[in-house]
Amino acid sequence: MYDHYSGSLYSIVLQIVKSPEIANDVLQEIFINIWRRIDTYDPIKGRLFTWMLNISRNASIDMLRSKNYQNSQKNQEITDNVYGNGQVTQTGIDSIGLTKFLGKLRPELRVLIELAYFKGYTHDEIAQIEDIPLGTVKTRIRNALLQLREYLR
Amino acid sequence: MNIQDYIVSGIVESYVLGLASPEESAEFERMCAAHNEVLAARNAFEIQLEASIQQQKLEPPRELKSRVFSRIGMEKDAQPGRFKVSTGKPTLVPRIGFAKYIAAASLLLLAGSVALNFYLLSEYKKSIARNNELIAVQTQVASANQVLSTKLETYENAMSLMKNPLMAIIKMPGLPNSPDPSSMATVYWNTESRDVYLLVNKLPMPVRDKQYQLWAIVDGKPVDAGIFDMQEGLSFVKLKTIPKADAFAITLEKKGGSSTPDMNAMYVMGKVTG
Repeated sequence: MYDHYSGSLYSIVLQIVKSPEIANDVLQEIFINIWRRIDTYDPIKGRLFTWMLNISRNASIDMLRSKNYQNSQKNQEITDNVYGNGQVTQTGIDSIGLTKFLGKLRPELRVLIELAYFKGYTHDEIAQIEDIPLGTVKTRIRNALLQLREYLR
Repeated sequence: MNIQDYIVSGIVESYVLGLASPEESAEFERMCAAHNEVLAARNAFEIQLEASIQQQKLEPPRELKSRVFSRIGMEKDAQPGRFKVSTGKPTLVPRIGFAKYIAAASLLLLAGSVALNFYLLSEYKKSIARNNELIAVQTQVASANQVLSTKLETYENAMSLMKNPLMAIIKMPGLPNSPDPSSMATVYWNTESRDVYLLVNKLPMPVRDKQYQLWAIVDGKPVDAGIFDMQEGLSFVKLKTIPKADAFAITLEKKGGSSTPDMNAMYVMGKVTG
């Protein structure tokens, strides 16, 4: 299972936490969590990969919000603004899979997906951050998701 | 809402990606259970998403794998029951199959417990009965013991009095008036305190309205020395103090005693010697 899934989960973690060192730690925690919680996996609610993907995303976002992560990022002076230019994520992982899809989205949709999926903000929080109405946030995210569906097809 | 509209509303994607709110997720799970189309749409999107992400694989550092497995190995050793309170979104869902086993097992346990209770109750009743028997026996033993120790005390008292070197011993053999010629009684007379004790060696049991009476013969005249009852076992009684006597004799008198002895009913007599 580790051999089969570690690569894809690692890429998701890396897209969220950016730093490879931190991604290593997070991925380790993810697999231990998967091992601990495999009994709670319910096939009725979705595929195993989906379950693991969500565990990975949650763990990565938790790390993103932890004190340690924020301190380490302060010292690094982030130069890549994920929203401002067309460069969505760090070099090396921007031309594959979901990230590739994000690159194809219109900027105003991409920003919202970044905030919602890769940063874990709620719709309300996004509305505040971007200073747009909640209804607009919902509509745009919905449009982005439907485009994703088309893209994956 | 139309099922098709629901499917293309974006809910499928936001559920799978973990973007749906808890309420939306709960509703979506209900819809999946109720409508196969919704379930099929979810499944299709999951497969596409998985395929897409599997394409973007990035190999994690090689040593990470051994770190993960050694951690898991450590946890396995440390906690045999590996269910741990976990953090994060997926919630503990009780699995129906497992719950069935639990339910079946608890019914078995309950039945076993009821049977055991009945067994224990009957055992308990038995032990109470046994315990009551033991208490009864113990009471008997205690009262028998009491009787014995009282008796022993009587004998010891009698023995210590008889042993006393100051005691003058006057044997009173049977007289012809006694219905039993082998009748005998003995007076123990303390030569210092002048207390008189009577030991009945052998006397016929008096009829109910009669009582034996001891007399001291002083200068040829009978002096009342006290009445006594026959007792089972050792009959050794203290009677009146007699300062001076030549002989002692016992007559059978009416109950309560008489002032003068019935000479026809004199059963035993003994002279004081020395």
